[in-house]
Amino acid sequence: MLNASYVGRSLPTTAPVTITDESVTRFAQSLGLAAAHPDGTHASQAVLPPTYLISLTLPAADPLIEDPEFGLDFSRVLHREQRFAYHRELTAGAQVSCTVTVESIKTVAGNDLLSLHTAVEDGLGLAAEVWTTLFVAGDPA
Amino acid sequence: MSLGDLASDATVFTAAFHVERTDLAAYAEASGDRNPIHLDEAAAKAAGLPDVIAHGMYTMGLVSRAVLEWLAASGTDARITAFSARFAKPVVVPASGGADVEVEAKVRKAGADAAELAITVTSGGERVLAPARVTLTAY
Repeated sequence: MLNASYVGRSLPTTAPVTITDESVTRFAQSLGLAAAHPDGTHASQAVLPPTYLISLTLPAADPLIEDPEFGLDFSRVLHREQRFAYHRELTAGAQVSCTVTVESIKTVAGNDLLSLHTAVEDGLGLAAEVWTTLFVAGDPA
Repeated sequence: MSLGDLASDATVFTAAFHVERTDLAAYAEASGDRNPIHLDEAAAKAAGLPDVIAHGMYTMGLVSRAVLEWLAASGTDARITAFSARFAKPVVVPASGGADVEVEAKVRKAGADAAELAITVTSGGERVLAPARVTLTAY
């Protein structure tokens, strides 16, 4: 069981990281995506693949996994739902930080559904939001 | 094509992808998600799964690829501004033969500036995403 007192709590915002062209290319290639560039420009920086931010937002939630008070056993976790909202087009070279908030914990038949919200901010403010719901299997009775 | 030309309920594209375990290993490296249920049969079975399963995010990534390829092929000048999915059933990827993933996109709503697609994804006859939704916004 997860510690329900964490609902509404945010982790400290991660230190800004620069999204490298190399990481974007590798992510795109692993999905067979052609390189994309911002429309109408000849910018050399690739547009982030639509699901790229998961590679930043899941590690940003690591402190929750490492926190014994929270009680999240990652070997019991399955990914249940995922949502992205992009407020601006992000490209490689962007410097972003993530703030993870525990949005809700619902217990259904002894299992937990953990919903996390991650605000992804660049120098101009909120650039994208990422919601992840994890199914956490309960103890086999 | 512009988003306003899309007709509600019309199927706008279908796509099919073949998935092998080597694809999951490459995605694990690229995304940093090295959960062994996506790489190792023993770990998957220990977690109560029938076999190695694809990352839900790998399947969702294939859906994004299908959308982007359709946008490029149809000359539609729009970008994805929202994208959601529920992972209803796992995509099981056996060591021999891999798995096939089929994608079908329909228009839910369309306007001049934005459109919403409902995307059905099946593998092995099961709906694996229930369903995926994509919002497109014109540049």
